[in-house]
Amino acid sequence: MTDSFPVVLTVMAAAALLCRMAGFTLMRFVPLTPRVEAALRATPLAVMSGIVALAVVQGGLAEWLAIGAVVAMTWATGKDVASAMLGVVIVAGLRWMGV
Amino acid sequence: MRAAFTWGGFARGARDGVPLGVSIFAYGLGFGLVAAQAGFGIGKAVLTSAAIYSGSAQLAAMNLLQTGQATLWALFATIMVINARYLLFGAALQPWLWQAGKLRAYGSLLLLGDANWMLTMRMIRAGEMDRAYLAGTGAPVTLGWLAGTALGAAAVSVLPRPEALGFDLMLIAFAASMVTVMTRSRSDLLPVAVGAVTAVAVAQLLGPAPAIIAAGLAGGAVAALGASARA
Repeated sequence: MTDSFPVVLTVMAAAALLCRMAGFTLMRFVPLTPRVEAALRATPLAVMSGIVALAVVQGGLAEWLAIGAVVAMTWATGKDVASAMLGVVIVAGLRWMGV
Repeated sequence: MRAAFTWGGFARGARDGVPLGVSIFAYGLGFGLVAAQAGFGIGKAVLTSAAIYSGSAQLAAMNLLQTGQATLWALFATIMVINARYLLFGAALQPWLWQAGKLRAYGSLLLLGDANWMLTMRMIRAGEMDRAYLAGTGAPVTLGWLAGTALGAAAVSVLPRPEALGFDLMLIAFAASMVTVMTRSRSDLLPVAVGAVTAVAVAQLLGPAPAIIAAGLAGGAVAALGASARA
């Protein structure tokens, strides 16, 4: 790697910006039929559930307990952000205890 | 007519985004530590966080840079692959956000991240009408991300390992809580199940970044098929 930092940074920033803008821009030219609307509505659910599923598969007991607690707390209280933050505290605590 | 884009909506988003900002601060600490270990000073680390604004992509890029084998194309491709999920994020936001007008919509996208995308999609589903909400959620996230990066890079020798703070579980915990709260009806369970199964299967073959995109596409596809059957 002989390129200077500004060049490297510009290239990386361009890639990140392209990803941020391209999906949005493409959707401007897709007519919003009921089917497309249903797909867009379902996409966040599938993405988030995919993220969680990968973590469950790769994780151990501390991660399982924390994720389970997040789902249970969100389910019970409806306080999503607070439940998520508590999940982070739980996993940090469990790891600290050596779980 | 343009949709609302008001200071009130921005403030509501910023308030809701504060817990995200706090969590992203811890994530920023993690990136700052990695960047400092790779020989980045505080200035370089913060510039990187500001310009790329994506923790997962930055961590992958730092890994690549540390091999000493990184070419510009390899860096570009790495960030494209890791951040390809933003194509779906932007697409899912488009029908709602576009109504704010071109400049406001694209400006808001600059502040788009994983956590505030999840939060915004959830609030759109709950009836949020003010398009400034997204940018509002981005404000505390940006602050936390840059401050965390700076502190992480500065205090590399003092801080505990980022995993000990649980920062690696942060986005996962947000995803778990948001998906729980957004799953309202029986028909929502299908994309949830398809997303989970697809992600795990594709991750075995191609790794985690393509797995997330495949999950989103598969979940969207089954929902589209279901909608056409009902119509």
